[in-house]
Amino acid sequence: MLAIGVLILSPLIAGCILLCCRGDISRNVIVALSSVVIALASIYVFVSGITSGPQFFTFESQIVDVVCTIVGALLSIIVLAFSIKYKNIWAFLLACIQLVGSLFFDLTMASGISVPQSLYFDNLTLVMVLIIGIVGCSICVYACGYMEDFQAIHANEKDRRPIFFAIMYVFLSGMYLLVFSNNMSWMFTGWEITTVCSFLLISYTRTQEAIHNAFRQIIMNMAGGIAFLAAMMYVVVNIHTLNFDAFLHTGVLDPALVLFPVVCFSFAGITKAAQMPFHTWLLGAMVAPTPTSALLHSSTMVKAGVFMLIKMAPLYAVSPVPSLMLILIGGITFCLASFIAISQSNAKRVLAYSTVANLGLIVALAGVGTAEAIWAAIFLIVFHAVAKSLMFLCVGTAEHHIGSRNIEEMDQLFQRMPKLSRAMMIGAMIMFIAPFGMLVAKWATLVTLIDSQQYALIFLMLFGSVATFAFWAKWLGKLAGVSGDPENIEGTVHKSERFAIGLMLVIALVLSATIPLSSAFVVEPYLVYVFGASHVALGPDMLVCASILTVAVAIVMLTGMHGNKQTRHIDAYFSGVAKNADLRTYVGAKGQVYAATQRNFYLDNWFGEARITPIADISTICVIVICFAIAIGHIFGLV
Amino acid sequence: MFFTIIGICIGSVLFALLGYLIGGFVEGCDRRISARMQGRVGPKIRQPFWDISKLFKKEKASTNPSENTYITCALVLLVISGGVFFAGSNLLLSIILSTLSTLFFIMAAYSSRSPFSTAGGAREILQVLSYEPMEYFMAIIFYIVIGSFNVITVSLQPQPLIVYGWPVFIGMLFIQLVKLRKSPFDLSTSHAAHQELLQGTLTEMSGPALAKAKLMHWYETVLMLGWTAMFFLDARPESWIVAVVAAIVAWFLDIWIDNNFARVKWQSMISWCWGITLCTSIVNFIFVSLL
Repeated sequence: MLAIGVLILSPLIAGCILLCCRGDISRNVIVALSSVVIALASIYVFVSGITSGPQFFTFESQIVDVVCTIVGALLSIIVLAFSIKYKNIWAFLLACIQLVGSLFFDLTMASGISVPQSLYFDNLTLVMVLIIGIVGCSICVYACGYMEDFQAIHANEKDRRPIFFAIMYVFLSGMYLLVFSNNMSWMFTGWEITTVCSFLLISYTRTQEAIHNAFRQIIMNMAGGIAFLAAMMYVVVNIHTLNFDAFLHTGVLDPALVLFPVVCFSFAGITKAAQMPFHTWLLGAMVAPTPTSALLHSSTMVKAGVFMLIKMAPLYAVSPVPSLMLILIGGITFCLASFIAISQSNAKRVLAYSTVANLGLIVALAGVGTAEAIWAAIFLIVFHAVAKSLMFLCVGTAEHHIGSRNIEEMDQLFQRMPKLSRAMMIGAMIMFIAPFGMLVAKWATLVTLIDSQQYALIFLMLFGSVATFAFWAKWLGKLAGVSGDPENIEGTVHKSERFAIGLMLVIALVLSATIPLSSAFVVEPYLVYVFGASHVALGPDMLVCASILTVAVAIVMLTGMHGNKQTRHIDAYFSGVAKNADLRTYVGAKGQVYAATQRNFYLDNWFGEARITPIADISTICVIVICFAIAIGHIFGLV
Repeated sequence: MFFTIIGICIGSVLFALLGYLIGGFVEGCDRRISARMQGRVGPKIRQPFWDISKLFKKEKASTNPSENTYITCALVLLVISGGVFFAGSNLLLSIILSTLSTLFFIMAAYSSRSPFSTAGGAREILQVLSYEPMEYFMAIIFYIVIGSFNVITVSLQPQPLIVYGWPVFIGMLFIQLVKLRKSPFDLSTSHAAHQELLQGTLTEMSGPALAKAKLMHWYETVLMLGWTAMFFLDARPESWIVAVVAAIVAWFLDIWIDNNFARVKWQSMISWCWGITLCTSIVNFIFVSLL
C-alpha cells in the first residue's frame, strides 16, 4: 500500500518541483529521475500485484476526504476564472453547477458515509498502472526534447514550459488516484483532475483557436462530470454507500435499482472517451503540443472513461438499457469515425479519429459485458495506448523536422528520416493489421460479437474495419515511397525523443509478440476474478500463430527494404518524356518541364466530415436522449 | 497447438508447390479460353510457366530498393494464408493473412513513387475496401452454420455449407471478381498495357519482382477456387467431385464476365460490392436465424 501512496504522490512532488524549475538542464534531469522512479514503482506494483492477486486495502482518511473536497473546489474555481477571463457563459454555468453540487455533496450528503476500504487494485488497475507509469513517463521524457524545439519555434512567446511539465505530472497523479480508488468520491476527484489538466494543456498556447477548443473540451467533460456527480448522489441516497465495489455488487443483484446511476456513469464515460456526439473535443484537443496528445488524448486520459465502463461490465451484462446505449454509441462511433478518417490528410486528425473509433469499439465491448468481450477490450486498451502514443511521438518529431503534420508532406520520409519512418510504419501496422496486437484483439472482438449475437454491431464493426484499412494503408503507402537521394535530416532529433520512440517501439512489439503470456497471466485471471470463469474467443494456438508471425513481420520491417547490390537501378516510367526521373519531372507537350506529384485519395464526397458528422450526431443524440428518458422515467415509476 | 502450427507449415509448403502447378495451369486455361472468346487461338497451356521462368531469369532491376522486400513478403504471406486454408485450419486467420499480403503488395506499388504505380496502389486499396467485408461475412456465416472456424470441419458435416450459406455464396462469387481484379473491376491493374493506367500496380515491376507478382495472382486464384469449393464439401466422398465442378463453373463465369464487361469507376465498384454484401449477408442472417 505504501507503493500506491508513492505512485500517487511522487508525480505530484515532481510536478511541484518542475513548476519552480526554469533551466533546461535541471528540468531534464528532474524529468528523467522522476520518470525512472515512477516507472520502476509502477513495475514493482504491477509485478507484486499480479503475484498477490486482487487486494482491497483497509484505509480510510478524513484528511484525504478534505483534500479531495478542496482540490475539487479549486478545479472548479480554475475553470470559473478562465470562463470569466474569456467570457464563456456555458463553461461558467457548468462550473458553478459543479462547484455548488460537489461542495453540497461532500459537505452534507457524503459526510456521514464511510468507505473502510478506499484503496484497491485488481489486474485491470495494474494494467492501467503500467500504461500510466511506462507510457506516461516515456512521453514526459520525450516532451523534454520536443518542448525545446517547440519553444524555439514559438520563440517570441512566453516560456510556459514549467507549468506545462507540472501539469503533465499532476495529471499522472490524478490518473493513479482514479485507478486505485474504491471510494467514488476520490475517483471523482481523480476524474476531475484529468479533465482540468487536459483543459489547461489544450489552452497552452493561448491562441484563439486553442482557447476555443479548450472550452469545448471543458464544457463536454464537465457535463460528464456532472452526470458522475448525479450518479453518486443517487447512489448515496438509495444505496447509502460510496464504495464502488459494493455499488457493483448491489447493481448485479438488483439492476433496476441502479439503472439511473449506471446510465449516468455511462454518459460520463462516453464524454470522457470522446464518443460521438462528443468526439469534437478530442479533435479540438489536437492543437495542444504533441506530447499532450500522446499522453492525455490517446493513451491515458481517454482510457479513464473506458476503464470505468469496463469495471462496470457485469452490470451491463444484466441491464439492457445502458448496455444498448454503449453498444449503439460505441458501434456507430467506431464505424463513422473510421469513415471520416479516410477523408483527413492532417496526421494528427487521422490519429484523433482513429482514437475515437477504437475507443468506440472498447465502449461497445464494455456494453456487451461478457468475459470474452472484456478480454478483447483490455487488449484493445493496451495496444491502442502503446501503438497510438508511438504514432503521436513519431508524428510530433516528423512535424518538427519536415515542418508539417500533413501526411501529403511525408513524401520520401523513408529516406529523410529512415529510422523514424520504420517506427511509424510499424506503429501504424500494429494499429490495424494482422498479426499485430490490435488486430488480434479485433479478431477476438468479431468472434465475441458472433457468440453474443450482436448482429447490428457486427455490421458496424466490419465496415468500420475496412475503412480503418483504407486510411492506414494509404498512409503506409506514402511512407513506403522511395525515390531520388534526398538529404537525411534525422541527425538533429533530440536524444530524449529517440529514446522515447525507441522504447515505445520495443514495448509495442514485445507486447504484440507475447500476447499468449499476457493473456494467460494477466487478463485471464482478471476474468476469473470478475466473471468467475475465463473464456477467450481465440484459442491458444491462434495466439501463438499471431506471435510467431508478429516476430517475422517485425524483423522484415526493421531490417528489410535495403535492396541488394546486384539489382540495377532504373528510372520510373514517365511515358517516355522524363526530364529527371529522381525529381519526378517530365517534359510537357510544348517543351515545358512539369513535376509529377501524387496525392492520396480522400473520397471527401463519400466520407467527408460534412457528410458523416450530422448522421453521427443525430443518431447518437437520439440514443442518449432515449436512454436518459427511460432511466428518469424509471425513477418516477413510469417505465 | 503444436499440431496446428506443424499443419500450417506443411500446408504452406504443399500449397506453394501444388498452388504453383494448379495456378499456372488455370492461368494457361484462362488465357486460352479468353483468346477463344475474343476470336483468337491463344497461347499453349504451358505458356504461363515459360513466362514465369523467363521472368525469373531476367536481370534484377528496380526503381527502388524496397520493392523486392515488399513483394516477397506479399508472396510468402499469401502462400501461408493459402497454407492455413488448405491445411483445414482457421478460416479467419487465412482471410486476415491474405489482407496482410495485399497490404504488402500495395506498399510495393507505392514504393516506386511512380504516378501509374501509385495510382494503381490507391485503387488497390479501394478494391480491398470493396471486397473485404464480404470475406468476413462468409467466415461469420461459416462459423454460425458449422460451429467452428476450422475449414476442416466442413468435411464432417452431413450437408454442405451451400444449403445454409447460399446468400453469402452469391456475394462471394461477386467479390471474387474484385479480388482477382477481373474486368469490370480491374481498376488497380490490367493485363493489357496502354490502358489509362498502363498496368497500375505492376507498372514498375520487372524481372523477378514481376514474376513474384504474377505468382501471387496464381496463388490468389487457387485460393479463390478453394473458397468456392469449400461451400460444396461435406462428409460424403462424392461431394469432392461436386466441389471441383462448382469451382470450375464459378471460374468459367469469372472469365466470361472478364471478357464481356468494360471497366467501371471506383464509385460503382464500392456501391455494387457494399450493396451486394449488405443484401446477401442480411438475407443470410435472417435465413439462418429462421432455421
